[in-house]
Amino acid sequence: MEKKKEELLTLAIESSCDETSAAVLRGGREILANIISTQIPIHQKFGGVVPEIASRKHIVNIMPVIDECLRTAGVELKDIDQVAVTYGPGLVGALLVGVSAAKSLAFSLGKPLIGVNHLEGHIFANFLAAPDLEPPFMALVVSGGHTALVDVQGYNRFRMMGQTRDDAAGEAFDKIARVMGLPYPGGPRIDALAKEGNPLAIDFPQALTEKGNYEFSFSGLKSAVLNYINSEKMKGHELNKADIAASFQRSVIEVLVGKAFQAVKEAGRDTLVLAGGVAANSGLEARLREEAEKQGVRFLYPDKILCTDNAAMIGCRGYYQALDGGYSDLYLNAVPGLSLTDK
Amino acid sequence: MLVLAIDTATQVSSVAVASEGRLLSELTMQGKLTHSETLLPHIEQVLKMAAVDKSQLTGIVVSNGPGSFTGLRIGLAAAKAMSYVLGIPLVGVSTLQAMAYQLPVPGVRLMCLLDAQKGNAYVESYRWENNTLQVAEAVKVAKISDIVAGCGQLAEQVILLGDAVQKKIAGKIELPANVSTAMPHLVMPRAACVAMLGQQRLLAGDADNVMDLEPVYIRRSEAEVLWEKRHPEEASVPPRP
Repeated sequence: MEKKKEELLTLAIESSCDETSAAVLRGGREILANIISTQIPIHQKFGGVVPEIASRKHIVNIMPVIDECLRTAGVELKDIDQVAVTYGPGLVGALLVGVSAAKSLAFSLGKPLIGVNHLEGHIFANFLAAPDLEPPFMALVVSGGHTALVDVQGYNRFRMMGQTRDDAAGEAFDKIARVMGLPYPGGPRIDALAKEGNPLAIDFPQALTEKGNYEFSFSGLKSAVLNYINSEKMKGHELNKADIAASFQRSVIEVLVGKAFQAVKEAGRDTLVLAGGVAANSGLEARLREEAEKQGVRFLYPDKILCTDNAAMIGCRGYYQALDGGYSDLYLNAVPGLSLTDK
Repeated sequence: MLVLAIDTATQVSSVAVASEGRLLSELTMQGKLTHSETLLPHIEQVLKMAAVDKSQLTGIVVSNGPGSFTGLRIGLAAAKAMSYVLGIPLVGVSTLQAMAYQLPVPGVRLMCLLDAQKGNAYVESYRWENNTLQVAEAVKVAKISDIVAGCGQLAEQVILLGDAVQKKIAGKIELPANVSTAMPHLVMPRAACVAMLGQQRLLAGDADNVMDLEPVYIRRSEAEVLWEKRHPEEASVPPRP
């Protein structure tokens, strides 16, 4: 007898950057296990993720992570109904480890394969965090390499409101943190420093703020902050890192918040969700919450674990994608530059 | 015994199914698609050609380096997952050594070279003695031009094999009188050789740990080498004997 869809067990794998992760979901929303092995300490001394080292760690970690995931979930391999895997965007060598393992698992189990877009996965982390969440809603995606506003009209229907033209918000965070001598990963350090600084101390630019423009650009802001730091150093001034962090973060946040609520209004949505690694930024989360209360919009964001790169969100996206027939064949390849598009 | 063998260490994608001492099917090609795209479809195909169901397999053998870092990981990730799901042993064999299985000729030095970028190769040399393959000189990284010149100093016939021969030597470098290159159809790695070499370990009851097997890279990542150059005081210096 065929299983009911709520009973389907999805094994999901994520290896797009510096986290090796495997998860088992029952149905679309119940996480039975979500194991994440992070490499952050390994990359710290290099000041950023080294792709070759990340790939070398993934090939060592992949089987223990899958094995621990199945044991934690209390599920046997033969009970798995489908295999979902991140195929992009990300570091190609890192993605390939997960993709190759997932294809081989699916083939060996004789079960279908589902290639998942990592960024869609971040949006779907919100379904795991909020069991009653249903489309339609607006999603603000802010991750290391991507910034985008997506109108989620259905589980398999997305409309791109706009995305980044150049640097993503996360890239600007990392670069500025590095120049200020903060250890990797820089995002959380800037977030923490910003709490001690004055956000109005330095007037950094905000780009593309005209109404109805949902594209993002952070390269100008990044340059402005770097120029400011350089000129302060030239003058022999001691850097007020807290003020720089707070003022920079304010510029990023105001642009994101402004555009997000404009998009909510234009699309006539009553819910805004935050998605992606930068969703863990407490300043951004607090500002969005404040604005949402003011405007009577429901605001959701996943807890910290579901904001980081994790396989549970890939399993969730994979589950809903498969309901719509979104399977992959064994020719599935990694696509490092995969982006979000209309669906 | 029924083994599936995989070699994705070079541009060649090769998979084979073999029973004990017999090649049942093999698919070896050097095409335009990547290993990532073709490996699993080829595994499916080669099993079908041999009329073997994956559930009948009793072992997996993978060509485990040296070679292309990414290629090796694609092959090993697939091999590990398959071994794990099917509950059968996995063994990794040397890509260089498997190539020497192409030419079981006594009295000749077999010099196996795999591209190591920037004019270098991973090289190991072998001799067949009493029907067994012996390592004559252990694996190292060296300049291709130096390897070829060194072969000219040897007092025996030398045959060069490997992707470095196809890419950088055959028809491109003048060879010393005692040195020749393997024929084009024998110069690249093949999963049939990997299968036969791996069977010996499987028959001896030997297997690798599917949980922690790593490719044999020989080289560290460039980032690590650079970092240690810049931080000599923190680099871990191995104790000298």
